[in-house]
Amino acid sequence: MSLLELNAVNKIYNPGSTHAVHAVQNLDLSVEKGEIVALLGSSGCGKTSTLRMIAGFEEASSGQMAINGKEINRLPPAKRGVAMAFEGYSLYPPLSIRENIAFALKAEKMPAAEVNKQVEAIAALLEISDLLDKRPNAISGGQQQRASLGRALIRKADLHVLDEPMGQLEPQLRALLRGRIKHYIKQHNLTAILVTHDQTEANALADRIAVMEGGVLQQFDTPENLKNKPANIFTGAFIGEPPMNLFEAGAALNDTEIHLRLGDDVNLEFPKARFSPELIERVLTNKSVVVGIRPHSVHLAETGLPAEVYANQWLGDQTHVAARFAGKSIVSVAHDRVRCGPGEQVNVQINPEDLHIFDPATGAALSHGRVLA
Amino acid sequence: MSYLDLSNIRKSFESETVLDGISLTVPEGGTLVLFGKSGAGKTVLLRTIAGAIDPDGGTVAIGGQDMTSVPPEHRGIGMAFQNFALFPHMSAFDNIASSLTSRRMSASEIKRKVQDVAELLKIDHVLTHTPKALSNGQKQRTALARALVSEPKVLLLDDPLRNVDAKLRFEMRLELPRLLADRGATVVYVTQDYKEAMALGERIAVLDQGKIVQIGSPEDIYKRPANTEIAQLFGDPTVNLLDVVPQEDERGLHAFLSDQRVDFHGDFPGVAGRDCIVGLRPEALSFTQNGGFPVTIEAITPFNEKTVTLVTTLRGREILVSQPAQSAVPEGPEQNITISAQDAILFDRQTGKRLEPVTTGERVEEAA
Repeated sequence: MSLLELNAVNKIYNPGSTHAVHAVQNLDLSVEKGEIVALLGSSGCGKTSTLRMIAGFEEASSGQMAINGKEINRLPPAKRGVAMAFEGYSLYPPLSIRENIAFALKAEKMPAAEVNKQVEAIAALLEISDLLDKRPNAISGGQQQRASLGRALIRKADLHVLDEPMGQLEPQLRALLRGRIKHYIKQHNLTAILVTHDQTEANALADRIAVMEGGVLQQFDTPENLKNKPANIFTGAFIGEPPMNLFEAGAALNDTEIHLRLGDDVNLEFPKARFSPELIERVLTNKSVVVGIRPHSVHLAETGLPAEVYANQWLGDQTHVAARFAGKSIVSVAHDRVRCGPGEQVNVQINPEDLHIFDPATGAALSHGRVLA
Repeated sequence: MSYLDLSNIRKSFESETVLDGISLTVPEGGTLVLFGKSGAGKTVLLRTIAGAIDPDGGTVAIGGQDMTSVPPEHRGIGMAFQNFALFPHMSAFDNIASSLTSRRMSASEIKRKVQDVAELLKIDHVLTHTPKALSNGQKQRTALARALVSEPKVLLLDDPLRNVDAKLRFEMRLELPRLLADRGATVVYVTQDYKEAMALGERIAVLDQGKIVQIGSPEDIYKRPANTEIAQLFGDPTVNLLDVVPQEDERGLHAFLSDQRVDFHGDFPGVAGRDCIVGLRPEALSFTQNGGFPVTIEAITPFNEKTVTLVTTLRGREILVSQPAQSAVPEGPEQNITISAQDAILFDRQTGKRLEPVTTGERVEEAA
């Protein structure tokens, strides 16, 4: 039994009217105990509606939602065993930050000394120790967000529901706090579901990510699988920074090689033996395909296919090189510094194991590397 | 040769000093990035160059001519802003053409110029649309086209990519330098995004409280930041800052992080025994099987094509380690990490300023 289970959940706003919006469509989702799950997507994708249904701020139009096997559809928010940090679910203005964070623990009749100890610990973790005696309106938005996160994380609950928990955090604190928060959640064996539009945050924190678009779950998988085995063009292009290079291509085969023709002038040739026979058949029956290559898999080498550089940007810990290729642009990312300037010719190498091939009609992935999707 | 020349610009509003003696130059056709947090004075400085704000003191010279008291429209400047500032009732075409209409130019010439710049910016298919019908990316390109169409000698861009989505921001970041170089304009570019600053700027001026605190190439600023604050503003994940008290022996100035000796090459007179901070970029640290010093892994957070790991030392100091994603994070919580010593940056703890060796000694600088 999963800790949280959503079964064919729908959310329709203004049902039956001319401006009905089907915000969440037939969503199946399960979260295991001790897991961190992120709902990721751009605005309007349905992630926040989903979170609000789980928390009890919205009613599901249809479908079942259960926590520990018990249906929660009709339970009020307070009865669901859920601790929340929501943007609109703000701190109590008349209480100090300390009182805000301690509120739920006091209600549980925890001894004052223990409450204090736990509040101090979570405040230190979130770098708000020196703000504990201030009122919410005396601190910045980013600090309020941390306080609200602390108030949720300190509670004992079956499920922690976090809405854009780090959206307003000061950039210098983000990487450190992500590490600390993940450690805290794992150490306390909490189960958390969080909503974010920031894939960096989702990748850093979550064990599994549910990618949503247009109210539809696109893929629910580990960060690694989202990167290496995107289910469709949408996920492939959405996950990864810089985004995946995508090219329309024609596939053909001769006795020894498989050919992928990109644009008018680029021919990618790979020995047949590098792919499984099923893959070759599947790709060739499609003839026209979409080829995706992650920027980190585009190698600039001594030999390869020619491309003309138009930008070379060093960002301290990585270099982005953009070049004209197959009538479009191709981006290559290296961890080290790359020496080539605008106007220079470079050679692009792409390995067969780094190819993602998609069906242009449905967008579904056909293959990843040498194997079928 | 410098084309834009600012000398000792000062500006106060009420009693608040916003620009505190700014001097800088930009060569003809060059790009200077103004980087700083909000409130640092970037926009005020840009508006002073444009002539929309009169400085209390100092001079603005363009092409060798003092422009300090020349009205904005005669300075030969084009501007684009983060909020686009398009005329809502006018089509994209008319918006772009609006910066040409004050000149005596035939309708066909205006049309040709607008068409050219629109093609360059890939908005030629939406020229009849009003701003309401444009996406944010198209609005941003329209605003940029309006700034470019009059072929200004100086182009001022105030955080132009701020309000466009991440994907377009990335594409524009790659395209902009080429586009600006092709137009030959001298550019001042304001941003709060360090990646944009490093990608666009041959030179970056870091502003803080109305003063330039550092000016240099992306490499200068990333590898030799003037103070701990600048070190923290450039880089994601952020630089690790650890308190140390360096000592000196026959091998020179060094500090110990747990068991690992970190050497600072060159002469640092008077630094031994002083309270210092060592700055270590997360990518300058790596897991090792031999040597280094022991740490405990607290959390592993994948970060694009990198894996960022939060570890603590035996003394409980937190350190972020960043590695390429394909290099596996070792199994188990107890590990050793090692420091690539040439990447250690030394700061004075009292002032936060970077400590520079008197002579570069045996320190080998990477060729630019």
